[in-house]
Amino acid sequence: MNPTSSISGLIPGARLAGLALTAEQTRIEVIGQNIANARTTRTSAGGPYQRQQVRFLDAIRMSQSGSNPVAAPGWQVVKDPRPPVMVHQEGHPDADATGMVAYPAINIHEEMADLMIANRAYEANLSVIRNGRALAQQALSIGRR
Amino acid sequence: MLPPAVMETLFSEVNYTASKRMMDATVLRHQAIASNLANLEVGRYKRVDLSPNFKAALRDAVRRSDHSGLDAMRPAIAEDASAVSRRPDGNTVNLASELLAMQDNALENAVHTQLVSGRLARLKSAIAGRA
Repeated sequence: MNPTSSISGLIPGARLAGLALTAEQTRIEVIGQNIANARTTRTSAGGPYQRQQVRFLDAIRMSQSGSNPVAAPGWQVVKDPRPPVMVHQEGHPDADATGMVAYPAINIHEEMADLMIANRAYEANLSVIRNGRALAQQALSIGRR
Repeated sequence: MLPPAVMETLFSEVNYTASKRMMDATVLRHQAIASNLANLEVGRYKRVDLSPNFKAALRDAVRRSDHSGLDAMRPAIAEDASAVSRRPDGNTVNLASELLAMQDNALENAVHTQLVSGRLARLKSAIAGRA
């Protein structure tokens, strides 16, 4: 089988771009979760909320033939190992014996910048699908007039 | 009925075959760009594009009017060796230039689709005997 047809179906590039869309969407959701939990000092697992991020992994080759280097991204959601920020707040229900409260190490500006980048990547992959569809439609119009 | 040689020459003009190859090439290039944009955030990923050998071979075959050579030609994707990374992770994809390349490629595809389509339309009007 032709290696290019097995990776795309009728719309060229759509499968790849679809995978990337899922990855970016996960990223946007994770950022939303981080922002929503920026001040969460207690979780069901104990301790403050821990910041999460999407880590992109090495590309996965889409074809076995080796001649076609088209690749799909892999990703996973990982916890950020940064230690929590300690704030002196006596009387807080989650304060320790010395009056320190552990807050998640989340910087809203960092999250917003990440969100913008993820949004742009999402749009770019969406336009790949839109353009691929236009190519397929053009091919269908051959000989029609 | 037309002798087979005449039918063959109708569809074996160099420009016609070259346009068909270029249509294949633009669809493949779109896939290369899709791969580049999908791997925008993947460290160490190197951008891919149509292999420069294909373009050179196509140009050469058109110049020599080598029809059978053109017909056997298959476009291929290869790692773009000329791309330089401007990022610490070694990724060589640039969002803006990929988007530009995609628009450029779509236009090129439209040109060749119209060439092929127009050729078939002319043949049709010749058969029908009216414009």
